[in-house]
Amino acid sequence: MSKKQRNISSDFLWIAGFLFPGIAFLVIFILIPVFGTLFTSLISDITFMKRQWAGLDNYIRLFNDSAFRQSLGFTILFILVSVPLETVSGMGLALLMHVKSPFRGVIRAIILIPWAIPAAVTGRIWEVIYNVNYGLANYLVSMAGFDPVNWLGTASGAFIAIVLADLWKTMPFVAIILLAGLSSIPETLYQQARIDGASFVKRFFSITLPLLRPVIVVALLFRTIDALRIFDLIYILTSGGPGGSTTSLSLLGYKYFIGGDYGYGSTLSVVIFLCAFLLSLVVIRLGQFSREVS
Amino acid sequence: MFLLSKRGLLLLLPVLMLIISCGGDLNDNTVVLAVGGAPSEIDFWEKTASECEEKTGIKLQLIRQPTDTDQRRQNLVTSLRARKSTPDIFLMDVAWIAQFAASEWLEPLEPYMKKHNLPVESFFEPVVRQADTYNDKLIALPVYVDGGLLYYRKDLLQKYGYSGPPATWDELVSCALKITEEERKKNRNFTGFVWQGAQYEGLVCNFLEFASSNNGGIVLSESQPVFDTEQNRKAVKFMRDLIHTHKLSPSNTYTNMKEEEVRLVFQNGNALFERNWPYAWKIHQASDSPVKNKTGVSLLPHFEGGKPAAALGGWHIGLSRFSKNKENAFTCIDYILSSEVQTEFVTSLGWNSGRVDIYDNVEVQKTIPHAEILKNVFRHAVTRPLVPHYSYMSSVLQRYLNAVMAGRMELDKAFTECESELGKIVSQYSNQ
Repeated sequence: MSKKQRNISSDFLWIAGFLFPGIAFLVIFILIPVFGTLFTSLISDITFMKRQWAGLDNYIRLFNDSAFRQSLGFTILFILVSVPLETVSGMGLALLMHVKSPFRGVIRAIILIPWAIPAAVTGRIWEVIYNVNYGLANYLVSMAGFDPVNWLGTASGAFIAIVLADLWKTMPFVAIILLAGLSSIPETLYQQARIDGASFVKRFFSITLPLLRPVIVVALLFRTIDALRIFDLIYILTSGGPGGSTTSLSLLGYKYFIGGDYGYGSTLSVVIFLCAFLLSLVVIRLGQFSREVS
Repeated sequence: MFLLSKRGLLLLLPVLMLIISCGGDLNDNTVVLAVGGAPSEIDFWEKTASECEEKTGIKLQLIRQPTDTDQRRQNLVTSLRARKSTPDIFLMDVAWIAQFAASEWLEPLEPYMKKHNLPVESFFEPVVRQADTYNDKLIALPVYVDGGLLYYRKDLLQKYGYSGPPATWDELVSCALKITEEERKKNRNFTGFVWQGAQYEGLVCNFLEFASSNNGGIVLSESQPVFDTEQNRKAVKFMRDLIHTHKLSPSNTYTNMKEEEVRLVFQNGNALFERNWPYAWKIHQASDSPVKNKTGVSLLPHFEGGKPAAALGGWHIGLSRFSKNKENAFTCIDYILSSEVQTEFVTSLGWNSGRVDIYDNVEVQKTIPHAEILKNVFRHAVTRPLVPHYSYMSSVLQRYLNAVMAGRMELDKAFTECESELGKIVSQYSNQ
């Protein structure tokens, strides 16, 4: 065996060895569960009944399920409202974090805190803020001389409350991603623009925004998928109420899993998966389209 | 040679970790018990486990579950569905027993009870019959039982000239209206009656009590649920009126009033009446409690022509069909259900035993002066429908009841739609 040949086979071993854990992880924890869920959605898999092939029965059931319609409507509305808000305010934060100032380190740390707090804790914090009897929100309201408001008591109130809590929590995430993008834009571009007399607004729309586009697409993608499967915040803040109006798709699916209906629970998971897949395609498409134009 | 090099070891590491983490089930005589709840509860179980080992020689190992009921359930469902041999024994909420039994996860207990000389008569008959028996088989035993109670402010009732707690809902309303009007002048936050109205299982329990005290409830006639009745409509209308018309129950009743929120309002001296489970008593009587020695306990009121009703709650112990250690596991169950441990339950945790004889114990009567009332409560308990698909019925009920409480849906619409949704669920999950 020549030395070269030995090197190749040893290289191959090395590469295979390092790839193996990653690939095994993907297969065991992502690929198998996804297909498993897809399969389970096609059977009537209820712990207290005989397991049998159901074909598309579970999917047909979706169309007659008012709880599903309500959840789907809520989830879509939540994405449409929260993701744009988070992106715009995340952009603001990113610009703030990018400014060179003696307080840069402190500002960055403060902005990042909400993102570092687990969603369950965030839920608890906001639950206390919105509490009718002793919440911070009603304290401020009563200071201003109004009657206390039951923030989570109406469908629209609970919706806005969830969006605000989610906004607070995820703005920093968007900001970090955008900040990374901002840092990669060469300073010389701005210097030239300044020499040409471009205002801050002009510089933002002509240099920052176009160059950030790919990064914005990534942020949008992450946020859209995250918003689609929102669970923990709602579970703690409203448990889906009032009257089921804030039950997200994942919360609905969860309820079916603990009740023992794995088939229908999986069907709901597949719906979430398909939505995420389609939304991702749309977002990625939008990103490419804008790149071609510019 | 390659694998023995430094870099080779680096590669081996994850593989080793994988092997270690896939360790098998315990195969010695250890019995594994899944329990959850508040820290004081877990502490108690730990003490019980070590005493169990001393007395029976069997090692009782605990799996600590979360406090949240849904998460405890999910935890168990995952293990049982995977046919894991542990936990051998576990605590179940009454609302899950039917699902667990129908899934054939629970071992029938009667043969073991005979062998261990544990007569079924030791426990409250209605509890065992209604909650622990599925398809004529005894598949669980009560560890602690719960029933809804009315807590009231003795001092305030006395101050305004009432001789005792109200017996009917009308009396409760007129009494609370009078007292809250006066008390609100001193305390803006004072409210008449707090109960569990958030969208969760507790709302269904509260509904069952209001409805059953009006001769209503959920009837399963030929497996089709009957929900839309005059009695139930009146009860639900009354619940809504408590919040919106009489304004005796706070507006967050339907958003965040669960057990602890309700207890806190009463505990801080901000409510005249409270509907809660028996656990609240011990906390109301704690040395730093503002309502210490000001709290009275009674059966819940009823409508004219009805009788008081208490929703049956509580935790029951079951033996896994997949346990490889059933004999020892039942010995542990037998120990947990023994008079001495059950007395400890009452005196140190304030829980209520499912054993009848405990309530005649002097120690117990010292801890709970209302032991007689409790005995009465458990003899008149109403259960939630014992069907495996109960949790789906419950989530429909929760959704519609909560929508009515929130004023988001008219009574008529809610009842018509809810009944048809319940029917759909029953036909979906009844055996073909």
